[in-house]
Amino acid sequence: MARALLLRVARYPPLPASSALPQPRLLPLRRHAPSPLRFGPFALPPSSSASTSSDAPSDGGGGRTGGEDGAGTGARVDYLGMSDEELMEQCEMGTFKASGPGGQHRNKRESAVRLKHRPTGIIAQAVEDRSQHMNRASALSRLRTLIALKVRRPINLEDYTPPVELLQILPLKSTVRGKDVGPQIGPNNSKFSPGMQALLDLLFAVEGSVSDAAKILGLSTGALSRLILSDDSLRTAANELRASKGLKPLR
Amino acid sequence: MATLSLSSRPLTFLRPNRAKPPLHRLLRPKPLASSSASALTPPTPRPDPTDTPDPTPLFLRPACHPAPAAALAAFRRRAAALVPPSAPHLHRHLRWLLSDAAAADPSSDPALLRAPLDDLEAMWAHHVRGRRPFQYVVGNEHWRDLVVAVREGVLIPRPETEAVVDMVTKVEGFADGWWADLGTGSGAIAVAVARELGADGRVFAVDVSEVAVEVATLNVQRYGVQGKVEIRHGSWFEPLQDVKGKLMGVISNPPYIPTDDLPGLQPEVGWHEPKLALDGGKEGLEHLLHLCEGLSSVLKPGGFFVFETNGNKQSEFLVDLISTKWSSSFHNVEAVLDFAEIKRFVTGYRR
Repeated sequence: MARALLLRVARYPPLPASSALPQPRLLPLRRHAPSPLRFGPFALPPSSSASTSSDAPSDGGGGRTGGEDGAGTGARVDYLGMSDEELMEQCEMGTFKASGPGGQHRNKRESAVRLKHRPTGIIAQAVEDRSQHMNRASALSRLRTLIALKVRRPINLEDYTPPVELLQILPLKSTVRGKDVGPQIGPNNSKFSPGMQALLDLLFAVEGSVSDAAKILGLSTGALSRLILSDDSLRTAANELRASKGLKPLR
Repeated sequence: MATLSLSSRPLTFLRPNRAKPPLHRLLRPKPLASSSASALTPPTPRPDPTDTPDPTPLFLRPACHPAPAAALAAFRRRAAALVPPSAPHLHRHLRWLLSDAAAADPSSDPALLRAPLDDLEAMWAHHVRGRRPFQYVVGNEHWRDLVVAVREGVLIPRPETEAVVDMVTKVEGFADGWWADLGTGSGAIAVAVARELGADGRVFAVDVSEVAVEVATLNVQRYGVQGKVEIRHGSWFEPLQDVKGKLMGVISNPPYIPTDDLPGLQPEVGWHEPKLALDGGKEGLEHLLHLCEGLSSVLKPGGFFVFETNGNKQSEFLVDLISTKWSSSFHNVEAVLDFAEIKRFVTGYRR
């Protein structure tokens, strides 16, 4: 029996050595929060699992910010510039843990995946796909969106020039957008997230003022508003940011 | 009066029982053999009630059955009403059934379906009432990025097993090696591995079951990897005599459930999946031990192996056994956790 202690145990998918899984501290959640999520073996929020039309939680992935260890402290780190593998390395993956022995014992096509991004505490999950592999990919893409929405990086307005990923999501009429930037990237493109993150960074730096941000981006206030309103998650994040500065929501 | 009422009561009491034999059977005491089974397990595994005449997986059938949108909506409502809201996975299955059944444009009216609505209705009932696995009902399982055709007689590939492919592709020299998938079943592992191989890579997909050979052939063809996967009919190493000592790696998800545990399996598994693919004999180790014994003669030096096991105890036992009894042949033998943190796999290298 003592020999069992000497067994080498690896993990698949691999996690970093410090994998004593910390229990996420769940802070009071802002919007209609489902029942608390546990890490590792987890229960899906009833709001999503009871849904018969779609399992995708309405906020686009059941993303929740873990708080203290959380969003905002990841300043200047370009998470969205990382490859999927690099990003995955920073995540703890929780799945439905079979209560029993799993494997051949079990037929349950539950292949939900829940990713917790350790540096920011952001959690993304996916359940609607038919294989775990695909759910992992969906969760990862949601994680990218949630990072874009929740991780703010400070900007120095004195010498600010909009990064190319932001220019790419601007309408062509922007006067700061050069010809070489290419066609406008829309919300369905995976490159939209980095642009959205940069836009929110800017909006944060100008205290939520759309007209100030619009000036910097060479757009009319109306044109920038339309861009923000074109994507539900971007609109929600922008309005939360504005609300925190005491501004009225964009409609 | 008393005798009259006594004599009439049993009559009315018995009649409905006679008319419904399943209920009657449930009321009888369980046969001795199943005394260890849980309350959820039926006394004896039932023969499959289904026998759909068409063995083609639903998603591969031609979409030639028009169904008016209203009829389709009515079916959806009826089907949803059969499952409680507390079973979200069944509602997901219903959605997947309909997505498999519908042609590319589901919004057209009438919708073009791959099976008549009546058939879909029967399929749904087999799943929710007969506990026939959803994957057998629709004839596929989504596994990794593949849609793997399955049917009765082959094991439905499990999500745990997806990780095996990632382990294998990380092995040095993977791409141009020769690999064996022993007990390939649906061929899921073989196809997924083959898709990652380079020009000289090969997979020998072995199975003793003729149904498995048929289904694996279909999956290999569907993914166009005939040039890389060679399906061989036979038991474990038997059909691999000509490649002895030449294999870069051996992969297997053999039957590993202890025979004693079979009666307690969930109905979807125990009633419907092939015992051949589940029953691991005494302590579930029969086939795993056979595989361990044959390994060293088929693997080339430096070759890799990965076996799926029943979890923790079995993996620990095998790691212990291989690294003591056969320490001269193998190194870096270890147990690998699955996503549920069960020691699900045993991996190692030939010296």
